Amino acid sequence: MKAVSQSLILVALAAVAAFGTHTWHPRAPALYLTQEPLRDDEVSMAVIREKYADEVLWIDARPADQFAASHMPGALNVSEQQFDEQLVQHLDALQTNSKPVVVYCSGQKCEASRKVMERLKEMGFVKDAFIFKGGWSVLSQQQTP
Amino acid sequence: MKTPATLFCLFAALSALSHAEMATELPAIEVRPKPADEVVKVNFKFRNKGTKPVKILDLESSCSCLSAEMDKAEYQPGEEGTGTAEFKVSTFVGRHEKILTALTDDPQQQEWEITFILDIPAVVDIEPKTLQWWIGDELVEKTTTVKMNADTPMKITNITSTRDNVEFSWKEIKPGQEYLVTVKPKTTKDVTLGALKIETDSKIPKYQRQLAFFSIYNKPAETPKAP
Repeated sequence: MKAVSQSLILVALAAVAAFGTHTWHPRAPALYLTQEPLRDDEVSMAVIREKYADEVLWIDARPADQFAASHMPGALNVSEQQFDEQLVQHLDALQTNSKPVVVYCSGQKCEASRKVMERLKEMGFVKDAFIFKGGWSVLSQQQTP
Repeated sequence: MKTPATLFCLFAALSALSHAEMATELPAIEVRPKPADEVVKVNFKFRNKGTKPVKILDLESSCSCLSAEMDKAEYQPGEEGTGTAEFKVSTFVGRHEKILTALTDDPQQQEWEITFILDIPAVVDIEPKTLQWWIGDELVEKTTTVKMNADTPMKITNITSTRDNVEFSWKEIKPGQEYLVTVKPKTTKDVTLGALKIETDSKIPKYQRQLAFFSIYNKPAETPKAP
């Protein structure tokens, strides 16, 4: 009986320690998985597969050196900083494109994909255009070797 | 047995009361590059206004054009710090808000956002930047104004088009300061995306070639929604 009570005390102490760590640790993960819903202008890989059967035109809004290192197959590089100069190189591809356009940048925090998409829409250069939620940090993990 | 419990409670209460609050002197840090600048560096001050030390774990930027570093990794309560931000100006013009997110070890301020306002003078201002027609539109002329806002006059020396489907011309409104470019499509039957390459006599290389765009496109029925 004494062993059981001592075990319970140890379990309780461990639970208190775990709770404290989770409460105060700056990088403590969530206790349950959450999926932030997509905004109206965002898509995920699941949506691209189900809705468009992977048939989209990728636009990579990252800087040229990051694009050169790796990018989605067939992606066009149109970054925020060199928008005009890069866009003029892709006029033929955009003119003949009939697929939905999906723009991505480096990750969750970057805003370049939204800015590039909005500019392309304002200019009347794309019709159906979306942002890939999570950006390259998600895409690079999902890429098959 | 009471003493450890009391100490634990005291420690927990003190932990809950103490807090950190990293903040810059100004709500937003203004950065004003000169017209010829390719890269600009700016120093900014901040302070730990809280009651416990704060460690900066990482810095994340909303733009690949912005990078930064702090002078230290950890700041004591009341301590002032200095950060250095570097912007690659590239071809940005106008006002842009960029956010630098500092990840800290403070559970109550895990992400500390530092706002920068990048204000880059538009040495060559083209308005509107894009001339648009819809498929089937009448073949009407449209104009765009090119304003030179440099210290010294700048002239347009040549304009070329990436498409044969448009006719264009330009005239000087104010010598060395303002030009009017007129564009007219030859047909609006087909989707056409093109650009006018405007060459100037600017001494600054990045302003020697500017781009204006034109599009003939299908009129959108309504704003598309993601599924």
